[in-house]
Amino acid sequence: MIPYDAAPDPEPPATVPRRVLLVEDDEGIARDVVDELTAHGHLVTWSQTGPDGLDRAMSGGYDALVLDRLLPGLDGLALLGRLRAEAVRTPVLVLSALSAVDDRVGGLKAGGDDYLTKPFAMAELVARVEALLRRPRETRETVLRAGPLEMDLIERVSRRSGRSLELLPREFRLLEYMLRRPNQVLTRDMMLEDVWHYRFIPQTNLVDVHIGKLRRKVDPPGEDPLIQSIRGVGFMLRLVD
Amino acid sequence: MSTEPGAVAGQTGRLASLRGALGFLGTGSFRLALGTSAVLAAATLLQFWLIYWRTTAYEVERADRLLDREAILMAAEAPADLREQLRLWASSDLHLVITVAGLFDAGRRPLAGDLRDWPAGLPADGAIREITVHPADQPVRAVRAEAVPVAGGRILVIGRSLRNLQQIRGIVLAALETALIPALLVSLLAGAWLGRRNLARARRMQRAIDRIMDGDLHERLPIRDGSGRGGDEMERLAVSVNRMLDRLEHLMDEVRGVGDDIAHDLRTPLARVRAGLERASRRPALSPAPQAAALRAAIDRAVADLDQCFAIVTALLRIGEIDSGRRRAGFATVKLRALAAELVELYEPVAEAAGHRLLLEPGAETAVAGDPGLLGEALANLLDNAIKFSRPGGVIALGVRGRGGDVVLRVADGGIGIAPEERVAVLRRFYRSDKSRHIGGSGLGLSLVAAIARLHGARLAVLGGDGSAAAGPGTVVELVFAAGAPA
Repeated sequence: MIPYDAAPDPEPPATVPRRVLLVEDDEGIARDVVDELTAHGHLVTWSQTGPDGLDRAMSGGYDALVLDRLLPGLDGLALLGRLRAEAVRTPVLVLSALSAVDDRVGGLKAGGDDYLTKPFAMAELVARVEALLRRPRETRETVLRAGPLEMDLIERVSRRSGRSLELLPREFRLLEYMLRRPNQVLTRDMMLEDVWHYRFIPQTNLVDVHIGKLRRKVDPPGEDPLIQSIRGVGFMLRLVD
Repeated sequence: MSTEPGAVAGQTGRLASLRGALGFLGTGSFRLALGTSAVLAAATLLQFWLIYWRTTAYEVERADRLLDREAILMAAEAPADLREQLRLWASSDLHLVITVAGLFDAGRRPLAGDLRDWPAGLPADGAIREITVHPADQPVRAVRAEAVPVAGGRILVIGRSLRNLQQIRGIVLAALETALIPALLVSLLAGAWLGRRNLARARRMQRAIDRIMDGDLHERLPIRDGSGRGGDEMERLAVSVNRMLDRLEHLMDEVRGVGDDIAHDLRTPLARVRAGLERASRRPALSPAPQAAALRAAIDRAVADLDQCFAIVTALLRIGEIDSGRRRAGFATVKLRALAAELVELYEPVAEAAGHRLLLEPGAETAVAGDPGLLGEALANLLDNAIKFSRPGGVIALGVRGRGGDVVLRVADGGIGIAPEERVAVLRRFYRSDKSRHIGGSGLGLSLVAAIARLHGARLAVLGGDGSAAAGPGTVVELVFAAGAPA
């Protein structure tokens, strides 16, 4: 199912607005993306052609790029290659038509950080752009701590407020993924892709069931719920540091 | 030139029919016969030349041996006897051995015998040479001859005719004619016959292909016996082309059917969306709060219906993408058991939540060549189906086993089952059995699995369960990777 933002749960806008460059030739899609990202508090610049997009991206000053695969003037992947060759490291989300399979691999090889196939739900796009804006905490520490949660990656034990959580290996992996991305909307597709490395749309509420199991262990009755459902979009691990 | 158009047309027509009648000249069979005939002729000529050459050598050697022997015998005679001897010779058996003979004095003047002149080009050295002689009262003839000095300072010339050799040459040439020409004729006739026959076959096939190109996809190339196993290369080619046509026809039918199915399956949710929105817009005004809630509910329902349309379109695009075969580039060695274990881990909570037990049958690790992502997706779809169509309390068993060299990936459930007559139909895009109409989904799960199986050269089989499960007849779905298949 395509997630749909039935009940917009606007995140408090980031204190410093982030700048996003959208390079997309389809005006209809571009308008929707600009509106949606703007509504989430980002400053969006829209570029309609490849060469223009390249100029703007090279000038720097963007925190993330949303790049269509097929562009007039300069192919999206070629643009990406030129950017990376010039050591521009801005995180990039590549958009493409679904039927082009090799695109995903090609897009990631060319230096893309994430990949989204059309048609996509706006909520999915926003969640992924925000994931790019807040790269996960890649620490070398073997113990992750956030809020009341603590995970020992070597001992494979996790605690909430000092109380041990008896997690199955798959639940441990899922919690670790969420703990590295606190206070961030995570869509079902992102989880299936990043935690299980599958990229298909299950016909059952697969991710919800896994989250449900994890939630029963992490959020026992009487304690503040940490794992929250974002209606129609996905889930979030809400932590107040 | 004042040729009438009609005459020209008639001429052209005759030319065309002549070309048609002589069409076999261009066939491979006739050319092969032509080549074979040439080789046959060359081999026969070589063989006869060898026979002739050996015979000549033998005959010359024999003549020389006889001449030498006679020369020695005659040289041993007394001088007076020799003259007598020569006279006798003319009427004796010796004539058969020595054809010509002459006795000359030291000045090379004839003394006796039938040689009146000293033969040109013959030195009196006792060596044998091939020369032409002119004996008295006899025709000119070619002989092997030698001149030997005998008693009294005289010279004896004897020669043996090569007439035998000329006879042999005649016999050999005659034999060559009688052997080679009929053989060549037979070979060329056979070639022409075969050529005409193959040409007729090729024309029949051409006509069949023309009919197929004109849109008659049911037409097939003519085949003598159904199997095509005992046939020649043309037969085998025709069988292959027919198999290709079967597949094309199947695909065309499928595409045709899919168009209707898509239209139908998209129409249903779209009609619901339209009706729902229309109802919502015509709803009598309520007080603001209930109004908002009612609209909200209508929108939610519309979105859910549109989601189903989306799911159908997405699944269709995905099937098309898999069928394009491009994913084959990403094939790697996939450990099926490890993959199955992963999928069991992924689906265990879902099965549990629905009240089923999901288990992996014990067995050894088996690897196939494939796309791990797609094989995972296929298994996920099979598990989705098994969970959806099982009644609570059932057992869903996932197994990887070897069977006679094949590798079988198997999902067995104790669910509502699929009727035997529907087991082929369920692999069609959009097929949904009547029993399952009320259960959601794009209806494309098994079609997707079938596409993934096709990509991997695997066979997808839908079987009935063994009926042992209390919950229902059950379904067994197998993905069979044939031994040594070019997966």
